[in-house]
Amino acid sequence: MMPSPRASRIALPVTLLLLAGLMVASLGVGDLRLGPARIWAGLWHHDELAATILWQIRLPRLLVAMLVGAALAASGLVMQAYFRNSLASPGLLGVSSGGAAGAVVAIGAGWVSRSLLVLPAAAIAGALLATGAVLILARRGASTERLLLAGVALNALLGAVTSYVLSNFTLSYERNAQILFWLLGGLEDRTWEHGAIALPIVGAAALLWPLGRPMDLLSLGALEAQSLGVDVRRLRRWLLVLATVLTALATAVAGTVGFVGLIVPHVLRLLVGPEHRRLVPLSLIGGAAFVVACDLLGRAAGGLRVGIVTSLVGGPFFLWMLRRQA
Amino acid sequence: MNALDLIGVSVPNRLHDVSLTLAPGTLVGLVGPNGSGKSTLLQIAAGLLPGGGAVRWSDRPLGDIPVLDRGRAAAWVPQEAHFEFGFSVRSVVAQGRFAHGDDDRGIEQVLSRLDLLGLADRPVNRLSGGERHRVLLARALATEAPLQLWDEPLAALDVRHALEVLVLADEIKRAGRTLLLSLHDLRLAHCLDMVVILHEGRLRAAGLPTAVLTPALLREVFGVRAEIAPGLVLKLP
Repeated sequence: MMPSPRASRIALPVTLLLLAGLMVASLGVGDLRLGPARIWAGLWHHDELAATILWQIRLPRLLVAMLVGAALAASGLVMQAYFRNSLASPGLLGVSSGGAAGAVVAIGAGWVSRSLLVLPAAAIAGALLATGAVLILARRGASTERLLLAGVALNALLGAVTSYVLSNFTLSYERNAQILFWLLGGLEDRTWEHGAIALPIVGAAALLWPLGRPMDLLSLGALEAQSLGVDVRRLRRWLLVLATVLTALATAVAGTVGFVGLIVPHVLRLLVGPEHRRLVPLSLIGGAAFVVACDLLGRAAGGLRVGIVTSLVGGPFFLWMLRRQA
Repeated sequence: MNALDLIGVSVPNRLHDVSLTLAPGTLVGLVGPNGSGKSTLLQIAAGLLPGGGAVRWSDRPLGDIPVLDRGRAAAWVPQEAHFEFGFSVRSVVAQGRFAHGDDDRGIEQVLSRLDLLGLADRPVNRLSGGERHRVLLARALATEAPLQLWDEPLAALDVRHALEVLVLADEIKRAGRTLLLSLHDLRLAHCLDMVVILHEGRLRAAGLPTAVLTPALLREVFGVRAEIAPGLVLKLP
């Protein structure tokens, strides 16, 4: 079945509307419920209580959620085109775990207090290491089995690094919460500082924007793309760097939030077809909407971490995809 | 001016010191047993595989031609058509216009020429092997490249589409373009202007089909005994 042209046309406005609705809901829902009127008043400091809640807690959390979602979905989309495999994603391949391990090592070693840049830099280093390992283990155009097995091994290894560092360098009473944060991902207590760390995601997304068309050609074969006039070596290098940086920044502020990079591009591809010129902007917006929605669900369920919610949604979805592929 | 020059082209263990020159407006067949280096030679000629020796298109060294310009100068059709994602047939063919700034020029004519109009909106990963191959040929034609390098374009096609592709190849050649295609069915060699025989990675012979495809050489290269016998002859109506 091909997606209908109508679905393709309305997808962008619908996704934007959906995101806007979720943003309002995310700002309104909590211990103190705020209606749209009070949110408006709070944003302009006409209502001091609402202003405090919004500016101190809910707005930074919303910003981080959106950036994380956009980054992970775009990263997944890029990896799927790169590996020519719709099951590739930062979580399954271990790139997220690499970012988390990098961030945790920096925290454990006590480097983080030196500069705001240390945490994202360490996450990027960890994610790059993981990406390099995936490349070596699973070559380009690798079979699903090889890719997933490489991911399983890396996820286990890097998860062990994260747990080891946290259990040796953190005080025991905060240890469990910390391990859970990095391994399961979360948006609790996110501040403007986290928003600032994640802000380069916007720049990386902007760099990705014009690569949609060459990604179409690459996703049907590297040699074919090269023969049609794509500078494949350069494109691949860019795509890998962008995908890795996007995942690393997301992981640096929210831990490993799984399945976003798998589900969002996949669902969008089913809806509007595989053309990346459409999928790049849609994945950015759709990813933001998906993580904000999962965060809302988690909060409604009494404070479930966002990583748990995405996994609860994503796990069954992934199994369904595997069944479909088989 | 030559359309394609290969000068002492080598790839370790696969191709040894192959030199070949193709004039514009010729239809050239590349034959040889499995593993003789046909696909490797086509990839080298297309500038997709690094190797020893030199490659020139229209007397220009390949290294001097920017990647985007290469997309307009030569088209390569791979032997296998694997598609992971469900792009429509039309959009895959339109990829042939990438190096022309995605202007979509001539797409409909190419689709019609390869009998793909009825399939134009179908996802390419749901097509049969032969249909997928026709999509790749259409994409190569859409580039309007003067040098066309096709790896086994006929192997996956039914007899009617295979004959139609040969007619198409002849038209392209008459328009002044150059085609180098690998093939296995030596009975089709009479359509070609020139046959190049590869054997164990070396150029064994090149020339007119009647001059090259002799029983002695076929026996040496393929290990078969060639006989000319009347049999079933298939032609387009």
